[in-house]
Amino acid sequence: MAISRRDVLLGGAGVLGAMASGLPRPALAQSEPVRIGWLAAMTGPSSAPAIGFDRGVHVAANEINAAGGVNGRPIEIITRDTQGDPTKAVNATQEMISQLKVHAVWGPTNSGESLAVSPIMARGRMPNLHPCVIDSLIDPVKFPNAFRLAPSNTQWDDAVRNYCLKILKVNKVAVFGDTTGYGVTAANASVDGLKKDGADVVYRANIDATQPDMTPDMLRAKNAGAEAIVCWSTSTGMDARLFNTRAAMGWDVPFVGHPSMSSGEIGKLVAKPANWEKVYAVGYRSCSYDTAGKLPAHTQELIDRIKGKVELGDTLLWWVAGGYDAITLFAKAIIASGGTDSQGIVKYLNGLDKYPGYFGTYTFTEKQHNGYPTEDVVMSVASSARDGTFALAPGYS
Amino acid sequence: MLASIIASGLATGAVYALIGITYNTMFATSRVMSFTAGQLGMLGGVFGSLFMVVWGLPSLVALPLALLGCAAVGVVTEFLAVRPVLKSLDKHLYVLSTLALALMIQQVTAIKWGTEPRPFPRLLDIGSGVLDEKFWLPVATCLLVIAALEYLYRRTLVGRAFIAIAEDNFAARALGLPERDLRIASYALAGAIGALAGFAGGELLLAFFANGPLLSFYGFVPVALGGLGNNRGAAIAGLALGLFQQAANFLVGGVFASVAVFSVFIVVLLAAPQGLLGAAAARRV
Repeated sequence: MAISRRDVLLGGAGVLGAMASGLPRPALAQSEPVRIGWLAAMTGPSSAPAIGFDRGVHVAANEINAAGGVNGRPIEIITRDTQGDPTKAVNATQEMISQLKVHAVWGPTNSGESLAVSPIMARGRMPNLHPCVIDSLIDPVKFPNAFRLAPSNTQWDDAVRNYCLKILKVNKVAVFGDTTGYGVTAANASVDGLKKDGADVVYRANIDATQPDMTPDMLRAKNAGAEAIVCWSTSTGMDARLFNTRAAMGWDVPFVGHPSMSSGEIGKLVAKPANWEKVYAVGYRSCSYDTAGKLPAHTQELIDRIKGKVELGDTLLWWVAGGYDAITLFAKAIIASGGTDSQGIVKYLNGLDKYPGYFGTYTFTEKQHNGYPTEDVVMSVASSARDGTFALAPGYS
Repeated sequence: MLASIIASGLATGAVYALIGITYNTMFATSRVMSFTAGQLGMLGGVFGSLFMVVWGLPSLVALPLALLGCAAVGVVTEFLAVRPVLKSLDKHLYVLSTLALALMIQQVTAIKWGTEPRPFPRLLDIGSGVLDEKFWLPVATCLLVIAALEYLYRRTLVGRAFIAIAEDNFAARALGLPERDLRIASYALAGAIGALAGFAGGELLLAFFANGPLLSFYGFVPVALGGLGNNRGAAIAGLALGLFQQAANFLVGGVFASVAVFSVFIVVLLAAPQGLLGAAAARRV
């Protein structure tokens, strides 16, 4: 049989095609790095959490790589600074999925960005862990690959309500929110929850966070007989003004609510340190010290290990621990599923049962992608920050 | 409660009045409503906190530095956002250019200074309760600024030149007045007045980048109510606005207080479109 020039060309093309498409790939896949995308608002208005998470992310990646990687493959963290901007987060997500071909994504770190990127991740079947609190971000039907590594806003609300009603044992409560979308939504949910549990919401208000004088609302809350004030705002300026006004009124009503009330900025804004007392902000049992000043043993072990490597004085421990947990969880998912296939990672996460992370003990099922245990959301003494941890509020054992 | 309404209302009203005067000072020589006025107030507080809290300078040094800083921003406003659009005032392009510059100032402040409110120190440490300096200092500053401007406009040659340009730009130029230099000077003066608003109101408003839009918004109301270009009208309207706003805060609550303020604003403008103390504009025929 005569071999024509056309046969040679076709045969050659076939051999080249086979080489390019199939043959070398298994060898490459076994040695290529595990690429984990990290959507981090490292700069811009809401950069503080991402900076903290980032420290934990790199500690975990360095530890895993130093121990030989994931099944012999090194972890590569690919960070994109989203600046807290949903548009930048969307662009970064699309780049990670279609160009960088990451195997999993940690982040974004704020709910506005996460609302924008969750549908994109769902379409791309990208395994995603995030710490954002808005409840609607977790929906195993709409976003089957998204898992929450931190409490939802409902869990925060449960902790605040339980502290008011069961530990402080107050019944008449005033609820404040700021005038942002978050403040209005959170205050509404809080009022509904309190009423459902039999509390008497004697006063509620949405306050403009830039309002210079908080006396009117505080006076109305006092006249209504409030025994505790629940506050939902991310504005430290508003928080500090409320505490200063309380002191000026000579009123010792406790404030209970949003974690921003424990921000270090407030210490600089209150007229005197005493104005910040009797303020209890959402915190976490894993990152809270008891009356003897001791942290849980598991948390202390992490601190001892990262001491000197990671700065904790200017951040919150739960951010560092959460970033650490996210990367180690992905690594364990890849080891357990035997590869970086997204369905394997998601399957592992769907079966996660009481995984002992440093920030929390996580449990996911196919129908429940909120992995943080509600009982570990506690209230902290807002003014008690010590290396990113807080004192447990009075009443907890 | 009444004492609290009066103290807090007059203080915030005085800050609004000073921002209104900042609008007027820029308007007088350029016929431009520059929406950077509120940002100048915001910068007054931020510069004050920067110089005193961060750099540790005494208030007597920090105040002139803050005035100089905001005067420089005023001059930059004239160069970048006002001068290029003066030839087409009838197209109102200044709305876009000054708003754009205001946004830039706010964003740069947010990036460089931060987005959390930061403390402003006590300046004199005099008074407590409703007589605290944070309440009376803005009012005293407002009265002082009005007196100083009255002196400037009525007793000095430069002040009269300002008024000449405000009255009739073309005639003033025909008489040989340096219109461009005077306009730059008026923008520097406006910057300094805005700085005083932010500095005197710093203990009340804190050093916060988001104060800019708030002051631009509420500072515009006294200008409209008091009559464009009328500083005394702006001062009276500003103080009245502060009192009304604070009373509404007490009576109907924060969110509805803004609704009440702007309802009254619209009703007043429907009744007196030229403002309560403004003269009706003459129409050339």
